[in-house]
Amino acid sequence: MTQAIRKTVPEPLAPAPFNIPQPFQTTLPNGLKIVIFEDKRLPLVSYRLAFYSGDVNDPEGADGLTSAMAAMLNEGTLNYSSLALAEKIERLGAGISASSSADFTVLAASALSLYDSEILELMSEIIFRPTFPEDELDLYKRNSIENLKFQRSQPNFLASEQAARILYGEHPYSKVSPTPADIEKLSRSALVDFHRRTLLPNNAVFIAVGDVTRDSLVKEIEEYFGDWRVGDADVVTFYEPPVRDDVTLTIVDRPGSAQSNIVLANIALDRTNPDYFAVTVMNQVLGAGASSRVFMNLREEKGYTYGAYTRIDAKRLAGDFEATAEVRTSVTGDSLKEFFYELNRIRDEKVSEDELADAKNFLTGVFPIRAETQEGLTNLILSQQIHNLPNDYLQTYRQEIDRITADDVRRVANKYIIPDSIAIVIVGDAEEILPQARQFAEKIEIFDTEGKPMDVSEYGRNSSEERAQATGKWSLVLDFQGQQLPVALTLEQADDVISGELETMLGNGKIADGKLNGKKLTATAIAEMEGNTVEFVINGSIDGDSMTGTISAPIIPEPLSFTGMRDEKPKTQSN
Amino acid sequence: MSEKFVLAPLEIEQYTLSNGLRIVLNRDDAVPVVAVAIYYDVGSRNEREGRTGFAHLFEHMMFQGSENVKKAEHFQYIMKAGGTMNGTTSSERTNYFETLPANQLPLGLWLESDRMRSLAVTQENLDNQREAVKEEKRLRYDNQPYGQIFDLINEMIYKNFANAHSTIGSMEHLDDATVEDVREFFRTYYAPNNAVLVLSGAFEPADAKQLIETYFGDIPSQPAPPGLDVSEPSEVAENFREWEDKLAPFPAFLLGWKIPARRSPQFNALYLAGKLLYDGESSRLYQKLVKGEESVIQLFGFTDERRGPSSIFVGAIPKPEKDLSKIRDTIMTEIKHIAADGPTADEMQKLHNQLINDAVRMRQSSQSRAQQIAEFALYDGDPTLINNELEQLLAIIPDQIRAAVNEYLNNENRALLDVVPAGIG
Repeated sequence: MTQAIRKTVPEPLAPAPFNIPQPFQTTLPNGLKIVIFEDKRLPLVSYRLAFYSGDVNDPEGADGLTSAMAAMLNEGTLNYSSLALAEKIERLGAGISASSSADFTVLAASALSLYDSEILELMSEIIFRPTFPEDELDLYKRNSIENLKFQRSQPNFLASEQAARILYGEHPYSKVSPTPADIEKLSRSALVDFHRRTLLPNNAVFIAVGDVTRDSLVKEIEEYFGDWRVGDADVVTFYEPPVRDDVTLTIVDRPGSAQSNIVLANIALDRTNPDYFAVTVMNQVLGAGASSRVFMNLREEKGYTYGAYTRIDAKRLAGDFEATAEVRTSVTGDSLKEFFYELNRIRDEKVSEDELADAKNFLTGVFPIRAETQEGLTNLILSQQIHNLPNDYLQTYRQEIDRITADDVRRVANKYIIPDSIAIVIVGDAEEILPQARQFAEKIEIFDTEGKPMDVSEYGRNSSEERAQATGKWSLVLDFQGQQLPVALTLEQADDVISGELETMLGNGKIADGKLNGKKLTATAIAEMEGNTVEFVINGSIDGDSMTGTISAPIIPEPLSFTGMRDEKPKTQSN
Repeated sequence: MSEKFVLAPLEIEQYTLSNGLRIVLNRDDAVPVVAVAIYYDVGSRNEREGRTGFAHLFEHMMFQGSENVKKAEHFQYIMKAGGTMNGTTSSERTNYFETLPANQLPLGLWLESDRMRSLAVTQENLDNQREAVKEEKRLRYDNQPYGQIFDLINEMIYKNFANAHSTIGSMEHLDDATVEDVREFFRTYYAPNNAVLVLSGAFEPADAKQLIETYFGDIPSQPAPPGLDVSEPSEVAENFREWEDKLAPFPAFLLGWKIPARRSPQFNALYLAGKLLYDGESSRLYQKLVKGEESVIQLFGFTDERRGPSSIFVGAIPKPEKDLSKIRDTIMTEIKHIAADGPTADEMQKLHNQLINDAVRMRQSSQSRAQQIAEFALYDGDPTLINNELEQLLAIIPDQIRAAVNEYLNNENRALLDVVPAGIG
């Protein structure tokens, strides 16, 4: 093959159209909505019975009731014990499970289409005839409490718990999970009563995707779910999330952590907001993927982290914007700096046409891949249905994305990313984190992993006391392939910020980005050498009047080590 | 009923380029999506002592640019085409894969061929990716409760260094890696004659073949990589170890056994035995431990499939104050029941339906088809095995399961790792 062909990106082939037809929809007299999508590719079916109520509908003083009810639905029914039900379902090679999220409760089933009727019958048994046996409830409570303890050992759980609390205040989205005390309070009678009141046909949609035949399936659904009695769903009103004025820093102290889990978050928008498409494109440019800005900056350029992302969590009633990364502890402050840089940049500058096109191409191109499997397609339809999005939502999604302009992106970035009052949450070693992160926030709080508030003044003393004095003129000797090369470093220190100059035999450079963390000096010097700009990275360790470390630059294959002494100490700092 | 279930075979076409690159095509036009999977025959098992973590570090290097694709552009090209991609490393192989809108097939082939031909191995890329790998190690292993237990038990099960050491490797070894090491590794293992390329999804076979020839046809082949001995004595290396985990909130334990290679009749029988023991709420151990004795918070188990000696694990995180040795007794008693009596007829019916269900589901996605096919092509030299894998598993009779459990899952040749919480929790 010729070199030439390899040099350029190949042109795509002719595009292949991809059209998802709109599914068939009907409603039973009792209000149960039915959505059927026939897909005969493989002998499989996926069913979802979804209710428009979730954890936010937990009654006052009964947090965790919805999730407990959902989890207990298949732990015993009138006709089957918990074990008998599990055996019956698994003997068909099938799966049925119920779960709740903040806004919704979903009974999900999947099976070989060979067993479609058996699965439908079992779904009706689980929905209509759960008995919530006392012994199973006891087990659920004990296991949930142990699982909560386990979750508290996971840094990302601790981070999301704090972020939700801070952003949502009195709004129920503030709770990411019930407390052990909430779990203890659960009772069988409360579950029975709640089940009767909330699982209503006029508050639900039945979605079927796969190797089914529409007419006979409607008949069958009617047979199993037609007698279901209409009821009145509770009407609940919610507090608004609090208004924020300041940047806050919340640290969850986890001594000995190898990493800092960083979350920056603010309230954004709900799922039905018309800005959703523009925000989706904005988030794609900023941080949704491995070619987005924050990933390119924090991972690919800086190597601070394995991954850095932003996301939009748009729920039914409200939503939030989050930027997250797990970074090694020593670069916590540097990572915050880069995050703020990127959050401000997307607000202040219009994204380029290339970046915009790339983001849109990704979102529209990946759509058929998401719809490739039956579960993927079912989840797309489920999301459209439970959020009451327009009937042609899946058909017009790609056009809506294509319509977004660079001005739209900048407008929504300014509206939904608020660096001036963002909440910073960091889970990690507070002693190490506080000195690096305190400069970014106006208010600081520290908790232990149990959520107990700690005294902020007790933290971060050691590292500030230990901070070395860097100011002065340093004579260093570089070891370059056995040769000893003299290098001079003149440093000025203001708190932990270092400025100054690097002098070498080949040319001089100004220090940018200089920082002192305890005894550790990190700095970049930009030098002009024989007409070229060369960037040196200096990593030093200061011990009294001596310094050791390395200097690296793209032009030298390995970092060069140096040692040296301070020959002039500023008089004001002599001691 | 389930025994009569017939799954339509996948359309498989295979051939080899003159430079030794093996090609497998699986056409399926249902959705206009195409999956590209390239599997290199190199994993942690090929690493030498003092250079652990190298295969995985190398996987990162493959995203750092090549002659015509700049650093990090690989991600960007794929994403702006509306595709998804990744790479992973195991003991057995390193794989790279893309799922793309069907009309972007040339892009996927161009990107994969450019890095196979001309990877840019520079000091800067190496330093940067070494840091990214260290963060990955901190994130996935060092900073997670129980994050290191699977690496530890592999050291206890296997005696042969090739099998025993972890894929993530040691930080010190990563620091020791030089640009020259990386270049040598690339020459040796990232040659066309050491790889398999699979396409699955919507494409015209004639067009695809021409594109493959255009992009990959003239990449020079290399001498075969050094031979590898993964053989093992049947005894485990170590029966017992206690591990202090400073992040673990609860004690836990992990049991591991050394078992025959993947696709051997014994491995398959033990894979099915594992499903009966720990897979799903009706499984024997779930019913005994989570339900009956109510003694564990989490129960888990799986088989680690390798071309050489493989392994099977059962682990539990017990509730506080529970007697760990009593829980292990329950597990061993249940294993002995299977060793004595084999599975029940109901259990066999469950297994059959689950196997059929799994096989059908796997076929939905072009990428999962491509990856399964690539494994059979690379490990067994025969991609069409994907069409009789289900049949092989369904053919296993209860007495084979009983006999395999009896032979392998015993107390004597077993590794037990006890995890002791030691710190901040």
